[in-house]
Amino acid sequence: MKKDHLLAKWLNNDLSKDELAEFEASPDFEKYQRIKNYTAHLTIDDLDENAMLSNILKQKKVAGKVISFDKKWMLRIAAVLVLALGITFALRFFTPETQTAGFGEKTTCTLPDNSEVVLNSGSEIKYKKWNWNNDRKLELKGEAYFRVSKGKRFEVHTQLGKVTVLGTQFDVKARNKRFDVVCYEGRVKVNYKHTQIVLTHGQSVTFENEKQVNINVNSLKPEWIDNEISFHQENIRSILDEVERQYNITIELNTNDTTSLFTGKLPSKDLNVALQIIGTTYNLKAKKVSKNKIIFDKK
Amino acid sequence: MPTKNQSNTCDEIFFSTFFKGHIKALRNFLFYKFGNLDHAEDVAQEAFVKLWQNCGSVPLEKAKSYVYTIANNSSLNKIAHEKVVLKYEKNFKGLDKTNESPEYLLEEKQFQAKLLKAIENLNEKQRVAFLMHRIDEKKYSEIALELNISVKAVEKRIHLALLSLRKEIDL
Repeated sequence: MKKDHLLAKWLNNDLSKDELAEFEASPDFEKYQRIKNYTAHLTIDDLDENAMLSNILKQKKVAGKVISFDKKWMLRIAAVLVLALGITFALRFFTPETQTAGFGEKTTCTLPDNSEVVLNSGSEIKYKKWNWNNDRKLELKGEAYFRVSKGKRFEVHTQLGKVTVLGTQFDVKARNKRFDVVCYEGRVKVNYKHTQIVLTHGQSVTFENEKQVNINVNSLKPEWIDNEISFHQENIRSILDEVERQYNITIELNTNDTTSLFTGKLPSKDLNVALQIIGTTYNLKAKKVSKNKIIFDKK
Repeated sequence: MPTKNQSNTCDEIFFSTFFKGHIKALRNFLFYKFGNLDHAEDVAQEAFVKLWQNCGSVPLEKAKSYVYTIANNSSLNKIAHEKVVLKYEKNFKGLDKTNESPEYLLEEKQFQAKLLKAIENLNEKQRVAFLMHRIDEKKYSEIALELNISVKAVEKRIHLALLSLRKEIDL
C-alpha cells in the first residue's frame, strides 16, 4: 500500500490490523481521531426536496424527444440508404454506358446533353456519363445516326476513323473495311487514317480500302430510320451483310460474281421484297432453307 | 404508455425516486465546490429540470452522470465561489458530554471553530472530496465516479486534506 494514502484508508476504515495499530501508536493519532469524529457531525441546512421536485415535474418535457430512439434508427437506416445510393450513383456515373441494338432491331437513346442517337441493327455505342458536357466522346461499332445538341466538340470514334462535329445531324457507318459518313445538317469533320475532310450538309463520304468517294445526298435523314436500306455502290457481300443484320438471318451466297456494285434501296421490314430485288439485280434465286436461313443460288 | 423505446426516466415515479436519491448529494457537492448554498440549490434544480425535459434521451442508468455534468458545466460560468460555511449538528456539543468544566468547554469551542476554519481553507478539490465522504458518507468509489477521477486520486485528495487540517489545527 502506498504510504501516501494511509490517512485516506484510515478515514475509510480500510486499514489492516497491523497498520491500524502502528498508526494508533503515532503521536498525531489523537488529533486525526478528533478530526474524524468531529467532521462526522458536520451538517448542511436541509433541503425541501418535495417542493423542488414538484417544481421540476411542472416543467414541460422537450417535445419529440420521446421518439428519439426511433429517430436514431431512422437516421442510421437513412445513412445506409444514402451511402448505398451514392455508391450506385457513382458506379453508374463513372462506368462507361453502353447502348446496343441487336440484329433485327433499332435503338434510340438520348445522351446526357440531350443529343439523340439512333442505332441501326447490330450496332453499339459506349460513352462516359461523367463530365459528358465537357468531353463528348463516344465509341461506335456499326452504324448510327446522330442528332447532336449544340455545345462543345462532339467526337465519334470508330475502328476505322473519327468524326468530329459541333452540333449537327449525321450518320456514321463503320462496317468491315467500309467507313461511311453522311452529314445532314451543319458541319462534320472526318478523319480516316491520314485523311481529314470536312462535310457540310447534304454531303457524304465513303472510305473503302483507301479509296475515297464523295457523294451528295438529298435526304434529310438516313433511309434506315424509315425502314429502308440505302446503298451506294456497294458490293453484294456487304449488301447481304446489311440484310442479315436488319432481318437477323443468315444468307449463304453461291456465286462467283461478287464484284458488281449495287446502288439503290431495299426495304428493311419486308424480307421477300428485299430478296426479290437482290435476286433480280444479281440474277440469283433465293431459297428459304429455314426460318432464319436463306441460300442464294445462280439461276 | 411506456414503450420499450421510451426511457423510464420519463416515468414520474422512477424520476422522483432518482431525484430523492441524488438531489441532496448534488446540492451538497455544488456547495462544497462553490460555497453558496442558494446558488448550489439553483444549479442542482436546473440540472434536474434539464434531465426531466430530456428524459426521453437519457436512460436512468446514465442520469446520474448527466446531472453532475450539467451541474458542473453550468456552475463554471457563474460567480466566483465563496467560503464554504459549515456548521455542526444542532445537538453536537462535543464528544465528552460528561465533562462540563469551563476549561473543557472553552477548549472544545476553540477546536470546533478551528476545524471549520481549516475546512474552509482547504483547496477546492480536497474539500469537495473530503466533505463528500464526511457529510454525504459516500464511498471513495462513488466519489471517484461523480468527480470523474480514479479512486487513487480520491484517496490522495482525502489524505492531503487530512494532512492540512491537522496542520491548521496545530497553529
